[in-house]
Amino acid sequence: MRKREFALLVAPSMIVMLGLLVIPLYRTMVWSFQQVEYGSPGEFIGLENYTAALTDPRFHRAVLFTIGLTLIVTAALVVLGYIIATLINQLGRWRPVVLGIMLVSYVLPNVVGAAAFSWLFDTNFGGVANYLISSLTGAEILWFTDVWPNRIMIILDTVWHLLPFAMLIILAGLQGVPNEILEAAKIDGVSSLKSHLYVIIPTIRGVLFFVTLISIMDVLRTFDQLIPLAPQAVEIGNESIMLYIYNIAFREGSEQLGLGSAISVLTILLILTMLFPFIRDTFRESKVAR
Amino acid sequence: MTTTQSVTPTLTEGLQATQQVRRPPSRRRRFWIVAGLFLFITCLMMLSPFIWTAMSVTKPTNVAFVNPPVFVYTPTLQAFVDLWQTTYFAQYLVNTLIVAVISTVIALIIGIPAAYALARTPGYISALLLILALIFRALPRFAVVLPMYEISQQLGIYDTTYALAIALVAINQPFTIWLLRNFFAEIPVDLDEAAMIDGCTRISTLRKVMIPLMGPGILTAGIFVFLFAFQEYLTAAILTDTASKTVPVFITTQLGQTLPMLQQAGAAAMLLTLPVIGIAFVAQKYLVAGLASGAVKG
Repeated sequence: MRKREFALLVAPSMIVMLGLLVIPLYRTMVWSFQQVEYGSPGEFIGLENYTAALTDPRFHRAVLFTIGLTLIVTAALVVLGYIIATLINQLGRWRPVVLGIMLVSYVLPNVVGAAAFSWLFDTNFGGVANYLISSLTGAEILWFTDVWPNRIMIILDTVWHLLPFAMLIILAGLQGVPNEILEAAKIDGVSSLKSHLYVIIPTIRGVLFFVTLISIMDVLRTFDQLIPLAPQAVEIGNESIMLYIYNIAFREGSEQLGLGSAISVLTILLILTMLFPFIRDTFRESKVAR
Repeated sequence: MTTTQSVTPTLTEGLQATQQVRRPPSRRRRFWIVAGLFLFITCLMMLSPFIWTAMSVTKPTNVAFVNPPVFVYTPTLQAFVDLWQTTYFAQYLVNTLIVAVISTVIALIIGIPAAYALARTPGYISALLLILALIFRALPRFAVVLPMYEISQQLGIYDTTYALAIALVAINQPFTIWLLRNFFAEIPVDLDEAAMIDGCTRISTLRKVMIPLMGPGILTAGIFVFLFAFQEYLTAAILTDTASKTVPVFITTQLGQTLPMLQQAGAAAMLLTLPVIGIAFVAQKYLVAGLASGAVKG
């Protein structure tokens, strides 16, 4: 493809991304060095926002919470997604029904799904999950005000919301595994578990890599579901990085835009660090792909 | 290679026969009882918040959220009637649809040529642009949305559906490009070359040869972008106020209110999601096939 054609074809998309992603991003970077409020020009204060963020214990907690959530949820998504996709891949008649049901939580808006999810657990609203647990075990779990029950509920909701996509991608990958390989493994007398470990998983490792990448990206920006699920997030320390930025930079009464921007920039650095191995591999691959 | 292939069928048949003799036939059935039960429970758990919400909104208001919960009741659609009559739900639903449709159309119009160019041009520039797109996809939303909030107010387009739609085009563009690029990469380059030998330019090759072949790919990308825009909460919460509020934002504001409004929020959630669930059931074939042929090569 000639250079001029290439430029012409990518231009509209690049202009939109430049205007609506790069320029706002630039402003965030400028703000992160300023004492600033909406609608008024800021005042340069150097690295003060960064030192304030890095010494704020609330920020530390938000980072730890977000990374912990990301690791647990990503692991759960890959493992559960693989098991469910393997089973669905062998289904016949029931396949469309099961797939359709599995997709429901994915098409629900995250915040709406989380609201529905919270109603299952909220004693004030006669939550059925809560009711079943307390009538079976006698324990009254405080899902919204105790740290760990709240965390478990957030993990469950996040897995619930993201599992369909992970499962769908893995299923698509499983369909690409050539039959000859599976049959060859069978002929060699490889047990079912071993054929998963040594044949199927290595074959679809690109897909699993992609699912891991997408899951990490999605969980790192956890925000929506915490609005209904963790009304006490600040008090009990279940604030994600995104929620922390929202609380300090947008909620009425505290519009510390400079501090919020500094945290955004730090988050970008964190994300780049976590994604670095993936980025390096993708760069190598896409350079050779045509 | 050739010998293996020619021998395989007979060997497999033989193996299956021996397996049937060696293994008791119930073993496979036992596996499927366990697997079926597992899948059934999974499906039930995946649906439970949705079912419970559907129950809560069709209960009479006085028993809708009592503890312990009521399981037997006379269903009523009063919450839906109230939602329609006492709130601007219809307006919010229209806003949501406008945003989703505009952003899907624009995302595809600008995304398709870019994805095509990226799929057909090896080298550093393409790799770099794709990596940048990947990084943009992972960006924390607030890093772009808070400046958008201020910029949109300065430009006087704050709280308009088209500003929100354009913002979402940009935010979802990285995903759109990646998905479409992978679909294009599946189409053999020979087709481009043949079309160009026949006198097509790059642009007309894209329009007349590639886009017709890309039907499922474009449909898949369109469904995803539509869903993303339809579901968006954070961006909509920040870039809209009252005039162009979308349904997810409306539902979230209703959550903090009193019981009847809470029930209406549930009703709104049902009305919003039933059509998309319909789409999911109809489009699942495309989603799976589309992802199988394209997305996973990323």
